[in-house]
This record gives sequence, structure tokens and C-alpha cells, in this order.
Amino acid sequence: MALLKLIEIEFLKLRRRKFVWMMMFSALIMPFLAYLLFKYAWNTGGDPVQFYKWSAFGLTLFIILPVVLGILSTMLMYNENQYDMLKQLWIVPVSKMRYFFSKFFVVLIYSVCFMIVTAVGSVIFSILLGDIAFDWQNVLFLIRKCLEIGVITAFAMLPILAIATTQKGYILPVSITLVYAFLGSIIVSINMYLHPLSSMAVIVARNGDIPGLNNTQVISIPLAFLSIFVWGIVSVLLANVALARRK
Amino acid sequence: MRTLLWAERQKIRRLSFVWIAIFATVMVAVIVFLSGLTDNDGIRDIDTIGWYMAVAQPLATFFVLPAVIALLGSYMICREEQEHTIESLRLIPVNEAKLTIAKMIITLICSILFYLLLFAITFFTEAALHFSDLSIGMVMKFLKAYLLDGLCIFLAISPIIALVSHMKNGYWIALVITEFYSFIGLFTSTSNTLKALYPITAVFTISGYYDASISQVMLSCISLLFCVGLAAVILAGMNKCK
Repeated sequence: MALLKLIEIEFLKLRRRKFVWMMMFSALIMPFLAYLLFKYAWNTGGDPVQFYKWSAFGLTLFIILPVVLGILSTMLMYNENQYDMLKQLWIVPVSKMRYFFSKFFVVLIYSVCFMIVTAVGSVIFSILLGDIAFDWQNVLFLIRKCLEIGVITAFAMLPILAIATTQKGYILPVSITLVYAFLGSIIVSINMYLHPLSSMAVIVARNGDIPGLNNTQVISIPLAFLSIFVWGIVSVLLANVALARRK
Repeated sequence: MRTLLWAERQKIRRLSFVWIAIFATVMVAVIVFLSGLTDNDGIRDIDTIGWYMAVAQPLATFFVLPAVIALLGSYMICREEQEHTIESLRLIPVNEAKLTIAKMIITLICSILFYLLLFAITFFTEAALHFSDLSIGMVMKFLKAYLLDGLCIFLAISPIIALVSHMKNGYWIALVITEFYSFIGLFTSTSNTLKALYPITAVFTISGYYDASISQVMLSCISLLFCVGLAAVILAGMNKCK
């Protein structure tokens, strides 16, 4: 219950930050660009999965969502540091791990909402495009994949949240976020199980249902989950140590 | 102006941000190197002469460096407001537009230095791998390309930095806008006209990374000049407000 209360408080704090809600608009960037590309540059032949791959499963998954979540995590942590609120929170007292997890759940919920916006945007733009037949089965497929991406990416971003807890400033976590997202998209071609973001791609494209993603390496779902799990555990431990040191 | 530049240089020395930016640049170089180790039918990309130097610049530009440079610039401008030093500066009095220009000049120098650092890393890696195959002409061509990249990327993002200094306290917005701004370059690079018009890809047309016709280079110059003009208008507007 205490955790639920903390999460509620986090959301109340977010209400006043317009920028967080403005970042939601970046969810529509890829659907819009995909719309432009398919309208003027290529011909899909009416294949909705190709369109969705561009609008929701491609760069949104590798770059946009990680960068947005990284910035959000940094902002969440930076808020309290900026006004020296942590001292008062420890006096209340708020459990340090609960504090960390309340922030994590905000990231998780935000990430899921973000992907839902992407999914809705993709559907709207695919209707605008005209040559893709509107079909419930495809839309359900899109929404299911988007929810998967939203949930798993939040876990894959745990390392950034942990780094943000160790830092007083915001610049290092943000720079690391950029490098982290970049590394995730590049490392896919080398070894998919080293980096949480590329492991996430393995899980999302597990049955080969997203064309063009990971068809060169052996797919192993347990290994991908293990990778995300190990990174997650290490980051939670790191955050625990960092918060315990903060007086 | 000289005093302002000197003061900014003194301030930046104590800033840990510079180290973080260097860290980001080095990491980008490492990641691109890693991606070059992949096997393509028995030939690794990294074994191709010039591959590393050629590929590092667009990848770094589309994903990381412009955002880092914009963050550096807007942070330097916004921190005066945030740490309440701007009041003391106004008392002196310092011309705020001039102060901003001084900060932008420092950002420009940093931008060029980051690209030169990237060049140094890629060059020494290439030299270590296959020194005998490198020709002086090729290395000079890349050096010129990196120098121009550093200069032109600053020009391309200058409106964003100016806008942020206008809004105050908005470095987050600078970061997000620049990241997407550079990221859209990935798409504009597919079309020949857009490639020359869009400021981020125009940088590569000018630096010689793309094979471009004279008219495309002209278009790119116009597009970058437009960016500088926009930045100048914003800064001039700021000066008038005071």
C-alpha cells in the first residue's frame, strides 16, 4: 500500500511538469515519418506489417522510446535533488527501495502509455495512407506488440534509472542514455544478448513475425530474459548502494 | 568581448560536462568500432581502408554529438539563470546578448574539438590496423571533412541554442529537440533535394561526405546560412527586449 501511495504522489508531482506530457508527442514522430515515406517514397503493396514495422517496431523501439524514457528517469531523480528534498523524505521516513521502485513504476506506466499512443498513431496514419486495409487482427497484433515493447523497455532502462540515482546532476545520465540507446541499436548485429535493449528486440520479434529483425542469429528467449534480468538486478543493487550513501 | 571569452574559458575548465562529452565521443567511436567487427562473408568492415573514418562521422552526427553539443551550449547559457549569477552579471553590467555570443563561440570551439577528437580516435585506429595502406590525400580529406562537420553542425544547431537562451531554463527542450532534429536526418538522407536542404544532412554535403553537385552544395550553404540568420534574429530580439 505504501508503494501505491508513493506512486500516486509521483504522478501528482508530474502533473505540474508540462514537459513530460510534451515528450508524449514524440510517440507520433515515427508513425508520421512512416506515413510520409510510404506515401511518397515506397510502395508497400498494402502490407500492414511492413508499415507497422516502420511506424512502431523500428526506430521507435531502438532509439526514440529509450531516449525519452532515459530523459524521464533523469528528470524524476533530478527533481528531488534539485530542491534538496531527499533529506526530508528520509526523515519521514520513506523506504529507499520503495522510493526507487515508485519512480520505476512511473517510468513503466509512462512507457506503456507512450507505446499505446504510438499504436493509435500508427493505426490513424495507416488509415490516412489509404492503401492498407483496416483489419482488426492486424490492429490487435500491433497493440499486443506495442504493449510488450512498452513493458520490457521500462525494465531495459533500469540501468539508466540507477545511474540517475547515483548522480546529483542530469548531464551524465542523459549523455549515457544517448550512448546507451545508440549502443543498443548497433550491437544487434554483433551479439543480441549483451545489451538489454537488443535482448528486448529478440523477445519482441520472437516468432519472426516482424520482418527484417534478427534473422541472422540463433534466437533464445530465455537468454534474452536472463540478460535483462541480470542488468536489472545489478542496477537495483547499484541504486540501493547509492541511495544508502545519500544522507 | 575578449574578457567575456576569457571568463567563459575559466568557467568551462571547472565543468565536469566537458569530460562527459568527451566520454560520449569516445563511446561512440568504440561502438562504431564494435559494429565494424561483424563478419560479412569473411570480410570485416573494419578491414576496409577508410571505412571507420567514413562511417563514424554520420553515425555520431545522427545519434549523439549534436544533442551533446546543444546540451553543452544551452547548459552554459541556462546555468547563469539557474545558479542566480545572472543578477550579479547584470549589476556589472554585462551586455546579455554579447554574453550569449561569447558562450556560443565557446560552444563552436568545443564542437570542432569534439569532432577533431573523433577524427583522432578513428585515424589512430586506422593507422594501427593498416598504416601502410593509408594515403596522405585520404587522411587530409577526412580531416577536412571532420573539421567542416564540427563547424557546420554548430551552425545547424545554433537556432536551437539561441532559442533556448531566449526561453531560459529550457535545456531539456534543447536536448530533445536536437536529438530528434538530428535523427530526422536519417530520413532526409534518402532524397537528393531534401538531403541538401535539411541542415543536418547539408553538413555532409558541404563536408564532402556525399558526392554532391555544385547546386546541391549551394543549397546546403543557403540552408545553413538560414540557420545562422535565424539564430542571429533570435539573439537580436533578445537584446532589444532588455
